[in-house]
Amino acid sequence: MLRVEHLTKVYPNGTVALRDISFEVSDGEFLVVIGLSGSGKSTLLRCINRLIEPTSGKIYWNDIDITNASPSEVRRIRRQIGMIFQQFNLVKRSSVLTNVLSGRLGYANPWLSLLGVWPAEDRQKALRALERVGIADKANQRADTLSGGQQQRVGIARALMQDPRLLLADEPVASLDPVLAHSILQYLEQLNKEGVTIICSLHFLDLVHRYATRVIGLKDGVKVFDGLPTEIDRARFKEIYGEEAQEVRAASL
Amino acid sequence: MMMKNADHLMRLRRVFTQVIGIVVIALALYASVQVTQPDFVKLVIAAPKARQVLRELLAPDLFTRESEVMTVGVALPVPCDSAPEDQKAITGPRLEVAPGCAAERETVLVRGRELGKGVPVALRWRLPDGNTLGIQRLVTDAKGNFEVRVQVRPIVATKGGQPARIEAEVTLPGGRLAPSQALRDVIDAMFVTVFMALLATTLGTFLAVPLSFLAASNITRRGRLGALVYYLVRTFLNLIRSYEPLVMATIFALIVGFGSPFAGILALVVVTTASLGKMFSESIESIDTGPIEAISATGANRAQVIMYGVVPQILPDFLSFTIYHWDINVRISTIIGFVGGGGIGDYLSKRINAFEYSKAGTALLAIILVVWALDFLSAQIRKKLV
Ligand SMILES: Nc1ncnc2c1ncn2[C@@H]1O[C@H](COP(=O)(O)OP(=O)(O)OP(=O)(O)O)[C@@H](O)[C@H]1O
Ligand SMILES: [Mg+2]
Repeated sequence: MLRVEHLTKVYPNGTVALRDISFEVSDGEFLVVIGLSGSGKSTLLRCINRLIEPTSGKIYWNDIDITNASPSEVRRIRRQIGMIFQQFNLVKRSSVLTNVLSGRLGYANPWLSLLGVWPAEDRQKALRALERVGIADKANQRADTLSGGQQQRVGIARALMQDPRLLLADEPVASLDPVLAHSILQYLEQLNKEGVTIICSLHFLDLVHRYATRVIGLKDGVKVFDGLPTEIDRARFKEIYGEEAQEVRAASL
Repeated sequence: MMMKNADHLMRLRRVFTQVIGIVVIALALYASVQVTQPDFVKLVIAAPKARQVLRELLAPDLFTRESEVMTVGVALPVPCDSAPEDQKAITGPRLEVAPGCAAERETVLVRGRELGKGVPVALRWRLPDGNTLGIQRLVTDAKGNFEVRVQVRPIVATKGGQPARIEAEVTLPGGRLAPSQALRDVIDAMFVTVFMALLATTLGTFLAVPLSFLAASNITRRGRLGALVYYLVRTFLNLIRSYEPLVMATIFALIVGFGSPFAGILALVVVTTASLGKMFSESIESIDTGPIEAISATGANRAQVIMYGVVPQILPDFLSFTIYHWDINVRISTIIGFVGGGGIGDYLSKRINAFEYSKAGTALLAIILVVWALDFLSAQIRKKLV
């Protein structure tokens, strides 16, 4: 279970990205975070694994205080929390296999991993992860030779290596066309059914309706909605997205 | 009216500023002529001398011919009938003596035939006991012949039926071409220079890598200590970079001795460290932060993030910069030799000081060829890396 209490993030330049956010996520939920660009979605997700330091407030992960954890504790917490990104964030010049293996770094022997030495079981696990996302044949290719959809699958395979109990997905399909978007989100749905809690930011209302078990709406860093996807009708959507709602809706079709 | 006035005033001010500017520049130019005293007349007067120097520089000392030595001879029985005369050859390089035999203290006419035009000849006696006795040195005429009168001394008398012979040792041109001493020295010195540069580049790279990470803002500039380290390293690198390699080499030569490659290597190491440190750190600063974020998110530690997220992004750049700098270091080290850094520069400065311009020309040619070759090579390798 994840508990966020009075989370506030103020960037050094004075931008208030998150304002007193509180919510809880139970195990097994597929939580979708929606909100306009700049509303604080990425900031919220990155505070959870402390890629960004919160300014104030608390985040508890199974009653461990993430916000107060020491660097080594943070690393131990992080390895149970997978993350995938809008820009995939693969190491472009490295092979697909190396990218996937890097998901295991939190568990690996620090010295051997620095030399690029991986136990056979980790390699097999990586190949299985690639098989699972349907691109085992690309294992030895350079990551930047893959298409966008394939790269995001490598991103998922990398997260799978962590045996995650929570998966953070920051607009995982915003750079992909709608058909690919569904194929990627179906992998997340599958993981969710296997018991992985998912927190995913999304832009498009139809995707929200299709995948979310619960929705949080952000506007200018403030939580303006917390409820079931079925509760979000056009009116609510407009409330969250403001006057641009129609356009966003149109773009999603 | 007011507007027009202001406009006018502004134009006046602009003209005034321009005039001041021109005057200042003119004064500065006048001062620099006064200070440096360029003597263009001298340049014209020195033209003949320049031509001489250039001619020698442009005719580098590269090869010598290995001369071939040919010996022809003819027997001269003294006195007559003490031994048989030689069969007379009628073609080819040969020696003829007239008369075919002689008594002591007579004079004979010795003719050389078809020996090669204008070649040096050493004429000598080969005595019956095998010893030689020099007669004289001469040069053949335009037809390859010579003629000389030789007095028969008692020492050349036949002994035990064995007559003395007159021999002509001819030094023929057109032997094999062989590298001249200068060329061999230049090649040796060039090896010193190239390896000096290689060693210095390697050492400099090893020092530059850790420094470059410390001098990269996205890696180091975190927290107060990080910022301090970042600024210290950066300032340090900038400080060394502001010293010319030549100055550095002179200082090191004063410490470890002039003319030693070690002084040159030390100077090059410092220069390489500073300049590669800066180039590397800029490469590190321009990396894509996405993968670093992603790898940090897996729970990897700092070293793992660098190894998996940073190194693959910068490695091609690093290799390419290093090769490029080796190329530069070869150039610098040729110059560094002039101030006592050893290698080809050292050789060149010594030949120039000894007025041996064609040997200096050999060194110059070698420098041009090697620099060009390395330039080409490093460009090829770098193209492959990107
Ligand atoms: N490093 C930073 N420094 C200063 N301000 C930042 C920084 N990162 C984000 N911000 C600001 O914080 C606010 C929230 O940004 P955030 O990236 O969390 O929004 P988002 O909802 O993810 O937007 P998008 O949909 O465009 O990704 C924005 O106003 C943004 O400009
Ligand atoms: Mg974002």
